[in-house]
Amino acid sequence: MQITKPAQFKFFNLILTSVLIFLCVDMFSQDQSILGKIKDARSNIGIEDAIITQVNGTAQCKTNYLGEFTFHWNGIFPIKVEIKSLGYESKNIELNNFDFIEIALDEKLEQLQEVLIVSGYNTIQKKVDFSGAVANISSRQLLVRPSISFDQLLGGMAPGLDVIQPSNILNNTPVVRIRGISSITSGIFPLIVVDGVPLFTGAIGGIIGNNPLADINPNDIQTIDILKDASSSAIFGSRAANGVMVITTKKGKKGRAKVNYNNWVSISTPYNLPELLGAEDYVMIKNEAMKNSGREPGYKLMYDKDGVLINTSWYDVAYRPGISHAHHLSFSGASNSTNYYFSFGYDNQNSFIKYNNFQRYTTRLNIENQVNKYFKAGAHIAYSNGFNKGPITGAIPSNTLSSSAYNSQYILNEPLGRMTYVLPPNVPVYNSNGSYSIQNGQSVGYGLNNPSTIGTINAYNLAWVQKNDVNTSENNNLTGNIFGEISFTSNLKLRSSFAINNLLNENTSFMNPIHGGGASSNGIATNSIAKYYRKDLVNLLSYSFNLNKVHHVTFSLGHEQIRTTINSWGAERSNITDPYYTGYQGGFVNIAPTGNTLTENTLLSFFSNINYDINKKYFLSLNVRRDGLSALAEGNKFGNFGGGSIGWNMYNESFYKNSSFPEYINNLRLRASYGLVGNSEIGDYPSIGAYTSSTYGGNPTLKYAQVANPDLRWETSKKLDLGLNFSLANERIFVDFDYFKNNIDGLILKAPQSLSSGIPGNFINANVGSMYNKGIELGINSSLLKNKNLKWDLGVNFATLTNKVTSLISDVYVPSVFGVQNMTREGFSIGSIFAVPTMGVNPDNGLMVFINNEGKAVQYNHIGSPRWTYLDGSAAPAIDNYKDGVIQGPSLPKYFGGLNNNFSYKNFELNFNITFAGGHKLYNGTRATNSDQRYFNNGTFILDRWTTPGQKTDIAKLQYGDNVSSGFSFSATSKVEKGDYAKLKNIVFAYNIPLNNSKIGSQISSMRVYAQAVNIFTLTAYRGSDPEISINGNSINSGKDQNVPPNAKVFSVGLNVGF
Amino acid sequence: MIIKLYRMKNLLLLLSILFFTLSCNKDFLNTVPKTSIEESQAFNTPNQIIAHLNNLYGQLQNPIFYGGRYIIFNEQRGDEFGQNDGNAATGSAVWNQNVASTNEYINNVWSAAYTAINSANILMSNLNTTTVISDSLAKIYIGESKFVRALAYLSLLQTYAKPYNVDKSALGVPLRLTPITSSGFNDLARSSVEEVYIQIIKDLDEAEKDLPVSNTSSYLNTTHAIKSSAIALKTRVYLNQSNYNKVIEEANKIVSNTSPFVYNNNGITLKLESSFAQIFSGSYTGSESIFSIAFANTTTETPPSQFSLAFNYNVQPIIFLATAGIISDPTFSDSKDSRSLLIGLDKANHKILKKFTINTAPFRDYVPVIRYAEVLLNYAEALARTNQLNQSIELLKAVRIRSNVNYQFASDDIVDSDKLTNTILKERRIELLGEGFRLQDLQRLQKTLPAKSGSIGTAPEVPVTAKNYIWPIPSGELSSNKLCLPN
Repeated sequence: MQITKPAQFKFFNLILTSVLIFLCVDMFSQDQSILGKIKDARSNIGIEDAIITQVNGTAQCKTNYLGEFTFHWNGIFPIKVEIKSLGYESKNIELNNFDFIEIALDEKLEQLQEVLIVSGYNTIQKKVDFSGAVANISSRQLLVRPSISFDQLLGGMAPGLDVIQPSNILNNTPVVRIRGISSITSGIFPLIVVDGVPLFTGAIGGIIGNNPLADINPNDIQTIDILKDASSSAIFGSRAANGVMVITTKKGKKGRAKVNYNNWVSISTPYNLPELLGAEDYVMIKNEAMKNSGREPGYKLMYDKDGVLINTSWYDVAYRPGISHAHHLSFSGASNSTNYYFSFGYDNQNSFIKYNNFQRYTTRLNIENQVNKYFKAGAHIAYSNGFNKGPITGAIPSNTLSSSAYNSQYILNEPLGRMTYVLPPNVPVYNSNGSYSIQNGQSVGYGLNNPSTIGTINAYNLAWVQKNDVNTSENNNLTGNIFGEISFTSNLKLRSSFAINNLLNENTSFMNPIHGGGASSNGIATNSIAKYYRKDLVNLLSYSFNLNKVHHVTFSLGHEQIRTTINSWGAERSNITDPYYTGYQGGFVNIAPTGNTLTENTLLSFFSNINYDINKKYFLSLNVRRDGLSALAEGNKFGNFGGGSIGWNMYNESFYKNSSFPEYINNLRLRASYGLVGNSEIGDYPSIGAYTSSTYGGNPTLKYAQVANPDLRWETSKKLDLGLNFSLANERIFVDFDYFKNNIDGLILKAPQSLSSGIPGNFINANVGSMYNKGIELGINSSLLKNKNLKWDLGVNFATLTNKVTSLISDVYVPSVFGVQNMTREGFSIGSIFAVPTMGVNPDNGLMVFINNEGKAVQYNHIGSPRWTYLDGSAAPAIDNYKDGVIQGPSLPKYFGGLNNNFSYKNFELNFNITFAGGHKLYNGTRATNSDQRYFNNGTFILDRWTTPGQKTDIAKLQYGDNVSSGFSFSATSKVEKGDYAKLKNIVFAYNIPLNNSKIGSQISSMRVYAQAVNIFTLTAYRGSDPEISINGNSINSGKDQNVPPNAKVFSVGLNVGF
Repeated sequence: MIIKLYRMKNLLLLLSILFFTLSCNKDFLNTVPKTSIEESQAFNTPNQIIAHLNNLYGQLQNPIFYGGRYIIFNEQRGDEFGQNDGNAATGSAVWNQNVASTNEYINNVWSAAYTAINSANILMSNLNTTTVISDSLAKIYIGESKFVRALAYLSLLQTYAKPYNVDKSALGVPLRLTPITSSGFNDLARSSVEEVYIQIIKDLDEAEKDLPVSNTSSYLNTTHAIKSSAIALKTRVYLNQSNYNKVIEEANKIVSNTSPFVYNNNGITLKLESSFAQIFSGSYTGSESIFSIAFANTTTETPPSQFSLAFNYNVQPIIFLATAGIISDPTFSDSKDSRSLLIGLDKANHKILKKFTINTAPFRDYVPVIRYAEVLLNYAEALARTNQLNQSIELLKAVRIRSNVNYQFASDDIVDSDKLTNTILKERRIELLGEGFRLQDLQRLQKTLPAKSGSIGTAPEVPVTAKNYIWPIPSGELSSNKLCLPN
C-alpha cells in the first residue's frame, strides 16, 4: 500500500484484496474446467465454502456464496473428486464429462471433530481439542418445539443438565441445575452468559411469573454450551459454582441474504387434574365425618330454581383451553467484511388458566464488521418487552434473584390452585339473580350448608377473585454487548467488550375491596418497579503460536469488572375510597412503602488461560482467575480460582492407528480436569453488621438487621472430572462419558443460630458446611440409519447424581404450621424429603397410626381425649414433626436424562423427546389437601375410607376437622411417594414441502409445516397430577407438590419458511 | 508501513490507558449499603439512641407477639373462645392444644421475645459506655430496656415453662443477659423457672428505681415504660407466684387507699376510664392505659389481618365466644353493664368480641398490655386471699360499677376470702375477656385447661400433668442449642 493514497482508497484496496483471497481461485494453472453447484440436499440452497478436491491429485477449489464452483484440472476423464463441507456428509463422485453438475450433500450428525465449543470470553475451540466437560446444544435441537424461553426446552437435552418445569403458570422460571445443587443458602442458578452478557436469572414477577431468561427469544439462539467441570468453567471464577451456560446467538452467513419466518399456534389444556368429589359424594362424605365426630350433619345439597342440582366444578371456573400464537422473523446475511442478523418476535400466550396472558416482543441485532486487517468491531443488541398478567396461582415462590426460595404463596392469600381443590362443589358460583354467591369478604357463599356448625369456609368465590384481582409483571430488557478486536499480528489479538443488561421490571397487583384477599383491607393495590442493571467490561489479550507445527499454544490474559445494581421501590395503597377504582392510581386512604431495595455489588477480576497441545495428541489447559468481590470484608475480598485439564487424543497416536482398534472404536479420547471455582451469589452485603430504620407509633426506630461476620470468605467448590469420548461403528455412534465429583467447602450458610440468641433472622452468614455432588454422565448420539430417503438419529443421555451434606452446623429447614417436608441435615442429600413414619390405618378403629422416635405406634383420634394414644389406649405424647420425623430420601433425582429421537423419511420427519428421572421422593401435599376433613373437597380416592372394623385401607376413618391424619398439618409418610417417571415430553410430526420444481421454489427456499404435542403421556407410579410439579422453584426444598395448578398439555401447529 | 506501526502503537497506548484506568480504580470494590446503617455508625447520635429505644417497643409490637397474635394464642389455649376456622394458619392447632415443635408460631413467638431481649441487651451495653447522651438519660433508657426485657421473659415463661406454682424448680428458659452480636452463643441451658422469675423481679425493681414518674406526653406515658409501668407489671409477676403480700406492697404504690382509686403523681394520673368503651377506642392513651402497644396509621406497622385482634375476634371472625365460656355469665346479657355492649353477633349467630373495632386494615387499635383495671383486680385478689376483705371488695366494686353503676354484689359472693376470691377471678374473666389473661390465670391456679367446642370440632381438656399444658420448646432452638432440653 502506498502511503500517499487517501484512506478510503486504501480501504477499498483492502476489501479488494480480501475478496481476491477469499474467492474461489485457481490453485494451479490448468487446462480444463467443469462448472457446477453444491447444494443442501434438503433445502436446495447452495453451500458456500464447500471444498472439491481431486482424489489422488492436487486440483482443488472452493464454492462461492451461491454454492457454485469452477473446477480446473488437467482435463483427463474420469476424475474422482471428494466434496467436503462443514456439517455435511463428504461425498466421492466420479466425473465423466463437462456438463454442469449439481451435487447434493446431506447434512450429517454433528461430528465430534467438528463441534465447536464456545467456552466463554469468545474462546472458540473444537470439541476434540477441548479437554473439559461440556455439553453442546445446537439451534436445530432447540427449534423442534415452540416455547417462550430456551431454558424450558433444555429438559433431557444434555447429560448432567436437569431442567424441570415446576408448574405451567405463564413465564414461570424453570428449575435449572447443572450437576445438582452446589450451595445451601447462596445462589443455586447456573451462570448464564448470552453473547458475553451475564444475565439476571431467577423469578422476579412478584406474585406471578416472570423469568428474565424469557427475554431471550429461543429462535435467535445458535448454540448453548453447558460448561460443567472446573476446567471449562474456571475462567468464570467465582461465578461458576453452579455451572455455566454460554449462549451464542445467530449471525449472518455469507451467501444469499436469508429471511426466515416461523410461527406457531397452540392450544393448552390442563394435564391430569386430580379427580374430585361431585356434590352428592361431597355432602355424603362431609356429613359422615360430622356424624363420626358426634356432630349434627351440616352439609346439604342445593338445587337451582329449575330444580337442577348444584354441582359446581371449580376446575371449569378456573380453567379453559388457552390459545397461543407466536411469530418470529429474522434477516441475516454477510459480505466479506460484515455479517448481520436481525430479528423480530411476537408471542401471545394464553394459559389454560383464565385471565393468564403473556405477551412479548423481542428484537435483536447482531452485527460484526471487519473494519480492516487489524480491527474488527461488532455488537449484539437485544431489546424485549414482556407483559404477564394473571391471577394468584400459588405456584410462584416469592421474589428472588438466584437464591433459594421457599414458597408460602400456595396457601396464603387467594391461590387459585388451592381454591380449585378445596371449594365445596355443592355451592353455586352465582346466585339465582345472577350475582356472585358470596358469604362475606372472606368466604364463598355457603349455599344450604349450615355456617354455624361447619365452621368458616376460608376460600373465596374463585370466579370473582379471578376476574377482579389482577397481577401483572412487565419486563423491558435491554441486553447489549459491543466489542472491538485488534489483531496486532495474525496471532496476537486484543479484544475489549462492554456489556450491559438493563432490566426494568414493573410488578403490579390489585386485590378488590369486595371479596377476596383484599377485602379485609378494603382493597389493596401494590405497584413496584425494579431496575436491575449490570455493566461488564472485559479486556482480553490473546496470543497463539505454533512451534514446528507440533506445539500449538494459545495464551490469554484478561481483565474484567462487573458492577451490578438493583434499585427498586414501590408502595401499597389500601382502603379504597370507591369500589369504582381498579388500580393503584385510583383513590385510596392509606399508603405504605414496599419493595424498597438499593444495592450494589462489584466484581474485579484478572484471569489467564493457556491451552497447549502437542500435535493434537496431548492437550493441556490451565485457567487461573483472581476475583475481588465487594460483598466480602476487607482482607477477604479476593479469592483465587482456577482449573486445569489434560486430554489425550489416543486416536492420533500411531500405535492406535496401526492397531485393529480403530475398526471398532474410533476417535478415542481421554480427559481429566480438576479445579476450584467459587460462588459470588451470596448477597450484596453479607459480612457487615447493620441496622435498618422503621417506625414505632410513627417515631423512628433502628432495628438490628444483620449480624456482622468480617471473617466471611469465599465459598469454593473443588471439581474433579474424568472423561472419555469415542465413537463406534464407523462414526455412527458417538459416546461421551464423564465421572465427576464436586466438593463444596466453606459453604456460605445462613448458619442457623439458636432462636434464643435473638439475632436478626436467627442466622449469621458463615462458612460452615460442606457437601459434595458426584455422579456419572453418559451421552450417546447415534446415526442409526442414513440413506437418501431415510434417516434416523437417536440420542440418549443419562446422568446420576449423589448429593451428600458432609458437615453442617445444624439442620436447615423452614418451620411451618403446615409441617416440614424438606430437611437439610448432615449426612443426607440436600433438602431431603422428611416425614413422620405412618403405619397406616388401624383396622380395628380406623385411626391413623404413626411411629414416634421411640419406635412406638401412636394413633390419632381427632375427637379423642386424649387425642394421641398408644394402641392399648393409654395416653401418648403428641407426634412432633421435628422429633419424630425421619428422612425419607433425596428430593433430587438420583438419575435423570432424556431420549431424543429424530426420524425422517423423504420430506417427512417424526421427532420425539422423552425425559426421565428417578430415585427421588416427592411429597404429595396436594393429596394431603384432597384428604383433609374440614370443608375441603376431597379426591375420589376418599371413598375408600375406613368405615367398618376389620377393614384394611390407607384412608383413616373420617372425622370432621381432622387435618392431621392425612399429612396436612405435619408431613407423614402416607404422602411420601416415589418420584420416578418417564415422560413423553414432546412429539413432532413435520413435513418439508418440496419446492425445487415449483414456481415458488425460486422465491422460497424452504418451507416446513409441523404439528406437535407436548406433555402427552407420563409413565409414573406417582399419584399426583405430575411428578415434575414442585412449589419451591429453584430451591433446595424441591419435590414438594402442593396446591399448584397442573401442568399443561399443549398441541400446536407451526410453519417455518425460509426465503 | 511506518504509519501502520505508528497507528498500532497509538492504539496499543490507548488501550493500555483504558485498561489501567478502569482496573486501577481503588474504590471499585468498596460498596456500602444505602438502605441500612452500618453497625459502627448506628449509635452515634442522641436521635439514633432514641431510635434504638423506640425499637424495643417496636419489638414488642411484632405481629406474632404483643402486636396481636400472642394475645390470640393465649385466648385460643384458654376456654373462652371457640375456633371457627380450621386452617392451621389461623392457629387451629393452637386451639386444638395440638402444636408441634416445628410449628412456626411456636418458633416465632419464642424468637420474637428473644429478639426483644437481645435488642434490650445490646442497647443497655451501648448505654453503659455511650458518650452521646447524658448519664442521667442513659439511666432512664436502661430502665426502659429492663422493663422490656422483663416483660419478654415473663411472656416466655408463661408460654414455654411450667407455671411457677406447679413447679418452680422446673426448667424455665435460657437466660440471656448479655448482648449477642456474633456467632458462638448457640448453646445455653435453660435456667429454672424460679431463676428466671428472680431476674424478672430484679429487672423490674431496678427499672422502677431508674425510670421517671412521668414523661412529657400521654403518648409517652402509655407507650414507654415509666415508674408506674414497672410497678404495675410487678403486681402481675407476684400474683403469678402467689406472693400476695408483694402484690399488695407494689399495688399500694400506685393505688390510693380509698375509692375512687387513683394514682396521681407529678403530672401523671392513673385511674379507671369513666366509660368502658373509651378504653378501646379514641385516644388509646387515657388514664387507664398503663402500658399499651401503639400503632401509627400505616400498614408498615400494623399487623396483617390474620394477626390482628380485630380481625380474629370481629371481622372474620376466626374465634368466637364459646357458649360454655364466661360469655354465659348474666353480666353479658345485662344491657346495663356496658361490657355487654361490646359483644356482637356474626353471620352464623356466634357471639363475638367487639373490643377492637377497626375492622379494616391498617388494624391500628392499640393493644392494651397493662391497664389500671388489671392492677385493681390483682390488688383485690391479693387482699382477698390475705383476708383483707373490705378493701378488696371496694376494689372489685370499682371495676364493676364503672361498667354498671347500680350493681350490687350478692352478699354471698363476697362473704369470705374464698368466695370473694372466686368473684374476683370471675370479674377478671369478664373485665379482661380477649386481652390474653385467661390462660395465665388457669395456669397460676394449677387448673386443667378445660375441653371446649367450636365450629371446627372440640378440643380436649388438658390436665396440668399433660405435656401440652405448656407449649413445646421450638424445634429451631432444639436443633441449634445443644444444651436446651425439650419440654
